[in-house]
Amino acid sequence: MRRRYTSRIGLALLSFAAFLALWQGVVWLGGYPPFILPSPGAVLKRLGDLLADGSLWFHARVTLREVLAGLGLGTLVATLLGYGLAHSPLAERLLAPYVVASQSVPVVAVAPLLVIWFGTGLLSKVVVCALIVFFPILVNTVVGMRSVERDLRDLMRALEASRWQTIWLLEVPAALPVLLGGLKVGATLAVVGAVVGEFVASDRGLGYLLKQGQQLYDTPLVFVGIGALVVLAQSLYGAMALAERVLLRWRTESFSGVAR
Amino acid sequence: MKRGFVLFVIPLLVGLVGCYCPVRPAPEPTHVRLPMGFVANVQFAPWYVAVERGYFAAEGIELEFDYSWETDGVRLVGAGETPFAIASGDQVLLARAQGLPVVTIVNWFRRFPVAVVALEESGIQGPQDLAGRKVGIPETFGASYIGWRALAAVVGLEENDVSLEVIGYTQLANLTEGRVDAAVVYANNEPVQLAQAGYDTVLVSVADYATLVSNGLITNEKTLRERPELVRAFVRAFLRGLADTLDDPDGAFEVCRKYVEGLDENETVQRAVLETTILYWQGEPLGWSDPAAWQETEEVVLEAGLLSSPVEAEKAFTNDCLP
Repeated sequence: MRRRYTSRIGLALLSFAAFLALWQGVVWLGGYPPFILPSPGAVLKRLGDLLADGSLWFHARVTLREVLAGLGLGTLVATLLGYGLAHSPLAERLLAPYVVASQSVPVVAVAPLLVIWFGTGLLSKVVVCALIVFFPILVNTVVGMRSVERDLRDLMRALEASRWQTIWLLEVPAALPVLLGGLKVGATLAVVGAVVGEFVASDRGLGYLLKQGQQLYDTPLVFVGIGALVVLAQSLYGAMALAERVLLRWRTESFSGVAR
Repeated sequence: MKRGFVLFVIPLLVGLVGCYCPVRPAPEPTHVRLPMGFVANVQFAPWYVAVERGYFAAEGIELEFDYSWETDGVRLVGAGETPFAIASGDQVLLARAQGLPVVTIVNWFRRFPVAVVALEESGIQGPQDLAGRKVGIPETFGASYIGWRALAAVVGLEENDVSLEVIGYTQLANLTEGRVDAAVVYANNEPVQLAQAGYDTVLVSVADYATLVSNGLITNEKTLRERPELVRAFVRAFLRGLADTLDDPDGAFEVCRKYVEGLDENETVQRAVLETTILYWQGEPLGWSDPAAWQETEEVVLEAGLLSSPVEAEKAFTNDCLP
């Protein structure tokens, strides 16, 4: 087991080294100036500067706060609404067209308005994140709730379970795999939302750092900003995957129990 | 008989030779895609006038407008992908600091158009009154920030004297909703819109306190070196359009109708925007760069921390391409 883990890490490091070598090769062969394509060395040097003066961590923390708050808000609203839509055909008929339409509204176009409505601080960025994560989580909630087998519902009814018991003991566990799938997608999308919000009006955050790099023609800074956003999104995805493994352990255990 | 033969055959031969000799075709016009740095707007009137009146065509240039971002235009020119773009002086200095060989060849805006605007009811009457107030600014870089830093330095406002808030390009809403006491704007745009909407405003123009370089036409060092005739032709055509616009703003506004969406519905405001903007272009000779303004711009950019070391401002511009 440990050996397999070590070889996986080794493979990942090898592929990263190959990627860096390819990148450096393109810079050498193409003879590109740093403002078009900086070398990995130039980007690593910029990364070192930003780590040394603490600014990368500062901006990453700002974006992370916006992402987590936006993801929380979006998840709360989407799961509540999703639950309602899954259980009420009337609500679905009334609201579904608006929900689908909301997905086709480009967030980039709405973001400046959100800044006017909710101010230039944290709230407008949180709302942008929430809007962007809303749809995938809502859809997954509806799918998850509807995936609960009718027999199990009948069983809960036969056992005279209360509504809360049905939700907590049947619907949530049954819908959790799909819900967590939505959260994994939502977590990465929330990072995009935070960057969109920061692009409109901000003086901090990784989106701001990216914009600063663009405005100052500091391409290595742009690369560091993109890299930091990728790491942030991957970390969030990884955290969700971990949560999925922990929360759904019971499924694996019960299935293996059945197999035995 | 012989004479008749000669009279018949020679014109025939001349005619035939004439038919076979290739007629020299008119030279193909040089196609130039010009990154404008902003959306189609009456502020680009001199360009529209120059195209519509055939000044570019007369120089053998076919001009296409590209309404992309200013920084993208600077990058394209720096990389040699396109020969010209419109960009402000501070952008040229910042780009040169990163190795982009861009040079300003026409100093289009002779007065720096950034200003601080406040509603009259705020009690702000001059830059000193900004102390202790909340001032909205679009970004912490770019021309607005450079203008703000220059103004603050001249009037002695320290960083902690003012609560500076980044509000993006939502100055009008934030100002009229009372979320900020004043906002950094383009003097030829937002104040005009506020006035047209019936607000009484106080305007503090950066140009009254500092001489900075604003929007101009840029090229790259390679084009300047290898295609000087194209550069001069391009500059000549643009300056003719600029001169025409200054002489006849009404005529220029009519030309803009073809290029700017929604001009008819918003005519009063847009006409006022053009009339105000024209004041920022005036100055003889047209397009001339003031070396002192470049030095001052470099000092402000350095002081603002956007440049870490000097970039030889004298290499960032040339007046040699002006007619």
